[in-house]
Amino acid sequence: MSAPRPVLGAPAAAIILPRNEQRLPNGMRATFVHAGAVPLTSVRLVLRTGSADVPAGRAWLDRFVHDYLREGTEVRDASTFADAMAAIGGQLSIAAGEHTTVLSTEVLAEHAPEAIALLAEVARQPRFPAAEAERLRADLRRSLDLALAQPQYVTYAAFRAALYPDHPYGRVIPDPAAFEGFDADAARAFWSSETGAQRALLLVGGLFDEDAAIAAWRAAFEGWEPGAAPVDRPPTPARGPSIHLIDRPGAEQSTMYVGRAVPDPTLPDYVALEVTNALLAGSFASRITMNIREANGYTYSPRGVISSRPHDSTWIEIADVTTNVTGAALSEMFKEIERLRAEAPPAEELVGIQNYAAGSFVIRQATPNGILDHLEFLDLHGLDATYSATYVERVRAVTPDEVRRIASEYLGSDAMTIAVAGDRAQVDAQLAPFGPLTP
Amino acid sequence: MTSTRERPFELRLPVARHQLSNGLRVVFSTDHSAPIICVAVYYHVGMRLEPRGRTGFAHLFEHLMFQGSESMAKMEIARLVQQNGGNLNGSTRYDFTNYFEAMPSHTLDLALWMEADRMRGPVITQAELDNQRDVVKNEIRVNVLNRPYGSFPWLDMQAIAFTNWHNSHNGYGDMEDLDAASLDDVQSFFDSYYSPANAVLVVVGDFDEAHALDLTRRYFEDIPAAPPPTPADCTEPRQETERRASRVDALANKPALAVSYHTPESGSREYYALGLLDQVLVQGEDSLLHQELVSRRGFTGSVDGGINFLGHMHNAQTPLLWTVELVHDTDVATDTILEAFDAVIERVRTEPIAAAVLDRALVKTRSSLYGTINDTYYPGAGRADLLASFELLEGDAGQVNTIEGRFAAVTPELMLETAREYLRPSNRTILTVEPGAAEPSVPAEAGGAA
Repeated sequence: MSAPRPVLGAPAAAIILPRNEQRLPNGMRATFVHAGAVPLTSVRLVLRTGSADVPAGRAWLDRFVHDYLREGTEVRDASTFADAMAAIGGQLSIAAGEHTTVLSTEVLAEHAPEAIALLAEVARQPRFPAAEAERLRADLRRSLDLALAQPQYVTYAAFRAALYPDHPYGRVIPDPAAFEGFDADAARAFWSSETGAQRALLLVGGLFDEDAAIAAWRAAFEGWEPGAAPVDRPPTPARGPSIHLIDRPGAEQSTMYVGRAVPDPTLPDYVALEVTNALLAGSFASRITMNIREANGYTYSPRGVISSRPHDSTWIEIADVTTNVTGAALSEMFKEIERLRAEAPPAEELVGIQNYAAGSFVIRQATPNGILDHLEFLDLHGLDATYSATYVERVRAVTPDEVRRIASEYLGSDAMTIAVAGDRAQVDAQLAPFGPLTP
Repeated sequence: MTSTRERPFELRLPVARHQLSNGLRVVFSTDHSAPIICVAVYYHVGMRLEPRGRTGFAHLFEHLMFQGSESMAKMEIARLVQQNGGNLNGSTRYDFTNYFEAMPSHTLDLALWMEADRMRGPVITQAELDNQRDVVKNEIRVNVLNRPYGSFPWLDMQAIAFTNWHNSHNGYGDMEDLDAASLDDVQSFFDSYYSPANAVLVVVGDFDEAHALDLTRRYFEDIPAAPPPTPADCTEPRQETERRASRVDALANKPALAVSYHTPESGSREYYALGLLDQVLVQGEDSLLHQELVSRRGFTGSVDGGINFLGHMHNAQTPLLWTVELVHDTDVATDTILEAFDAVIERVRTEPIAAAVLDRALVKTRSSLYGTINDTYYPGAGRADLLASFELLEGDAGQVNTIEGRFAAVTPELMLETAREYLRPSNRTILTVEPGAAEPSVPAEAGGAA
């Protein structure tokens, strides 16, 4: 026999670790946070430039530039650079966002200063050797072909194209003919016009010697030109309903993106929206997951996410469902959404979700990379430390009726943009009840 | 630029081991850097030991462990973890199946109670079994059947490189075998493998050890003991001739190539030498294969590889494979790539590794080891994984603190000997994927890019 279920005491208060924020005269900023117990340091150079800064017709120029950044610096060639990175236990990662390009590495803690210097070298003195351009274009063509074979990628691209017509956010799939114009000059021109000290934020988290790290940061970035100011490009998202089908004959599953524009993180309803999403779709025990996975077995990993850019957010339910239940899965999702729009959730269910949202935040704030992710989020949306300090209390303040209102105002299933990659022969009729397909 | 202090940051994990009267092994490792705990239970049964005719059963069983037990209803364990501010998961590997939750530290009592409750066995209905069968089939669809290169190389390679069924069968499961799984199978699998003596409980994080031991005894000690399972013979014969195989992937639009070599026995000196060879040959952009195949020859944009398709070199038992894989363009012949690949491999089989390269490889192994215990989503789970793996596979979790020393003891001579014996062509299997899909034409939406 099991022992009786234990009753727990109160949770400890959330701990927000101290952040040492610094600024250079040229506009460059840096934040240092000690966290964790593993002797590694996570170093990220967050540059305020991304795919949204790429001119129309040249999609993936940013990716080409990122690949090119790996081809060495004015100080050392690609292979010498790779050796230097490896010698401190690191590898150069480059993450491409719409408004950010993040050069990062995780190194043995005693080598944090060298890591900062190496990332500065890549950002400030890229080599862009002309001889490598054709190989990198071939890599880009291959990457595109591979991406187009992925059902999740083509679904995402169709969803974005539908939601953001005539905006860089909607131009996911590049025109490979344009790759011919991607060369050393194009890379250099893009990089020098779209980066600079006032568009740079260095984040350092983990275990490290703070004085040495700050000194390395100053030495590496003090002489950088400020560069041009970054530009936000708030879109006007299209309002659904609209349905977009990409035919994948014989596909065993339909890959679905179902979503719409919602308030962004700077707006008062955002935290309540996060709580609403966790209850509806964004956690393992959420309503949509319990329905389409645990009650019906339609899918393995359905999830509701909120994806954000400056002054722009979308709520999206993503799922890969067995082909013959494509329509059934969609109708169960909508049923759960409409139930929440009509009826405030029971207080007990909401408290559980609030604990989850608050607890997940506390857990993320305890790990170096969780903290750096959060700092990137704050910076992207122009939020400050108050956001972090008040987050848990704002989560706890959400009421059942507020959840109903949020669902009602922002998540109505009548205005969803739906993208599906699946077997048209089987899926067409299943989608018919949800409206006409956009040709 | 070099740091003036030598190794100011060291990693030594505290390890305390206990055993309960029913045979359950208990490992505690405190870390007071944040108010978080991770509780993990590892059962010493994985894909290798599932019954014949029931491929995929170990993994299906893992799903069933979330469907209810004596005191918890279906999915209640997930709800309890979430409602108390935590995250949970489980996974099925070759040798073990694990269940873990990262939670605020005040929930230790509950976390231990939940794991003890489900150690007494799943209490589930036919409907719950059928539901999770559907979920698992959808997991296989999304990860394998509806995904280009979905079985490459992890399932395809095992089938060809291994001759012993325990190692070579599809551990994700054939659909017919999953269809055949019954509630009787669930009970008999539980009875055979899920006893306390076949499990390790690990608690990591911010907790008091004496209190945790009291709670552990209170919840786990009266779970009935059962004899541990009889070990299965998972050994592989020495491979004497190179094998080659090819398969068509209907969803792939580029050819792919993988080469796998049988590794030395896990835990041996040679195994750690291979761990360093892995760093030298294929980990990172400084690696010899990246330099040759990507940077110099431009065959591919990236070359990947490593030991153990379902983890890393420290959390599985041999027989294992060391594998290198890449996707390439149709106009480059497999043999052209293999020729370049062989030239690199021959170099480490004929010349001793330079001291500077070995030093770099040692730094990379340290960094990669620390990386395995630096989780963000489940803080503590990586540390628990390493401790549980060493407790299960080597019989002593405390051995985690010898890993760095084992790498440091490897000499260039030992690496040369290891490369000669284990990277010989007759010890390998070459697998190619032929694209079954046409090269894509860019869809109309891309017109929007212009």
